[in-house]
Amino acid sequence: MIQISETETQESIDHLFRHHAWQMVSVLCRIFGFDKLDLVEDAVQDAQIAALKKWPFSGFPDNPRAWLTEVAKNRVLDQLRREKKLDGTGDEDNLIADFTDYSSLYFLNEISDDQLRMIFACCHPANAPDAQVALTLKIVGGFSIAEIAGAYLSSEAAAAKIITRAKKKLRKNGVRLEMPQPSETGERLAPVLKVLYLIFNEGYAASTGDELIRTDLCFEAIRLCEFLSKHPVTASPKVHALAALFLFQGSRLASRVDQAGELVLLADQDRKSWDKEMIGRALKHFRLSASGGELSDFHLEAEIAALHTLAGTYKTTDWPRILKCYENLQKHSFSPVVELNRIVALGKINGPKNALAQLEQMDASNLQNYTLFHIIRAQFLSDLGEAGSALESYKTAMSLTQNEAILKFLRKKSRRVTSV
Amino acid sequence: MANYMLLLHEQPTDYSKYSAEQIQAVMSEYTAWSRKVEAEGKYVGGQKLKDDFGKHISGINGTLRVTDGPYTEAKEVIGGYFAIRAENYAEALETAKGCPHLKYGGRIELREIEPTS
Repeated sequence: MIQISETETQESIDHLFRHHAWQMVSVLCRIFGFDKLDLVEDAVQDAQIAALKKWPFSGFPDNPRAWLTEVAKNRVLDQLRREKKLDGTGDEDNLIADFTDYSSLYFLNEISDDQLRMIFACCHPANAPDAQVALTLKIVGGFSIAEIAGAYLSSEAAAAKIITRAKKKLRKNGVRLEMPQPSETGERLAPVLKVLYLIFNEGYAASTGDELIRTDLCFEAIRLCEFLSKHPVTASPKVHALAALFLFQGSRLASRVDQAGELVLLADQDRKSWDKEMIGRALKHFRLSASGGELSDFHLEAEIAALHTLAGTYKTTDWPRILKCYENLQKHSFSPVVELNRIVALGKINGPKNALAQLEQMDASNLQNYTLFHIIRAQFLSDLGEAGSALESYKTAMSLTQNEAILKFLRKKSRRVTSV
Repeated sequence: MANYMLLLHEQPTDYSKYSAEQIQAVMSEYTAWSRKVEAEGKYVGGQKLKDDFGKHISGINGTLRVTDGPYTEAKEVIGGYFAIRAENYAEALETAKGCPHLKYGGRIELREIEPTS
C-alpha cells in the first residue's frame, strides 16, 4: 500500500503540492461526488494558495497533507453552502463523517483506492487517447493547463478546451469513480498504461518544448506506474514491465545532453553518470515482470532498454539479442519506428551497407517528418563515406527540429562530414 | 541590538493562474528567506493576518464607529508581519530587502520597535 509520510523522498517533498493534488481531488470527489470535480479542483487550488499565504509565517504544519486537505474540504463545504446545496440540517455531517482520522492506516488504503479510481476515470475509454492524457496530467498529475500546453506545444486555450470536453464526455457517459470488476480490470488497465506510455514518450522524445516540464512528464509517468505496480488491483507483470522500461530509460535522462547543451547519443554517453538508484528499481521491476506467462510489448521494450543499460560499453552491447526483441515486437504489431530501430540494431551486426539497403527499402512514408529517421540515414551514409548524401540527410533532419540540443549535435555532425 | 517590524502590505495577488508547482515555488522562497534569517539569529517572529474579514473601529466625538474594511476601498492591506533583530536600521533594511514579498507585488514598511524599558 502507499505510504504517505514514512517513505517520502526529497523529490516528493519538492513537488508536494503538485503530487498531493491528485490525492486531495480523489478523496474529496469520493466524499462530495465526481460531479463536483470542478468545484473540488478549485478548492484544492485555494487550499494551496492559503498555504502559500500562511506557512511562511507559521512554519509548516505537522502534517502538511492533512492541513491542505482539511482546508480544501472546508472550501468545498463553504461553496456548497453558498450554492445552498447544503441546508445545515446534518447532511454535511454525513458527508464528512468518515473524514476525521486522516492519517490512520485504514484510511491510507482508502486513499490509494480513491486515487486508483480517479486514474481509471481519467483514462476512461469514452475519451480519445489525447484527451485521456490531458485529463490524467491535469487531475492525476496536478499539472496546470499552462504546463500541459507547454509540454504539448499547444495553446492554453486549446488545452483547456480538450480538458473541458473530456470532462463533459465523462459526465455524459455517466462515468463514476469506481473500481473495474475483476473480469474487466485488464481491459480498463490497457488505456491507463497507454496513457502513461504516451506521457513518458512525450517527455523523453527529443523534440521541442520546455525541457523542465518534459523531464517532469517522465517522472510523472514513473510515479504513476510505480503506484499501479504497488496497488493490489493493478499490480501485474505487465505493469512491472512498463515500470522497468521507464526506469531503465529514465536512468539516462540526465546524460542525454552535455554541459554545452548538446545532444549526446547513447554510444557517447558516460555510463557511470547513469542514475544507479533508478537502475536498481528498474531491475526489481524487471524481475517481477517475468513472473507471469505473458510477454507483452512492454516486456520486449523493457528487455531492450535493459540490454542497453546493463551493457558495460556501447561496443559490448548484445546487438543480436536486441535485434531479436525488435523482430518479436514487429511480429506483435508492425510500427515504422520499431522497424527503424530494428534496422539500427541490424546495422551493428551486418554493417551499414546492409542496413542502409533495408532502410531504403522500408516504407518510410510515415517517417518523412521524423527527425531520427534522417539522422540514422545520415549516419549510415556517413559510415559508408558518402559525405554528400549524408550532409543532405543531416540538413533535412535540421529542418525538422527546433530542439537546440539536437541542432547543436547536427551542426557538429555536418561539419565533420564536410571536413573529411 | 534592536527589534524591527516588517509590515507586509500586499495587493491581494491573483494566484488563480498559478500552477501547484509555481505556488509551491513561491512558498519555498518565503520559507528559505525566513530560515536564513533564523539561521543568522535574527528571526524574532511572524504572523499572518486573515484575508477575509476585518473592520475599522474609530472613535469620533466619543462615539465608537465600526466600519467594514479595510477591503472595501483600500487597494492594499496589511497581510502580516515579520519581526527581526538587527544591529541598526541599515542592517534591518538589508535583511528586509531579501524578503520575497517584494517580488510578488508586495510592499514592506520597516519600523524599529521602541524598546519597552
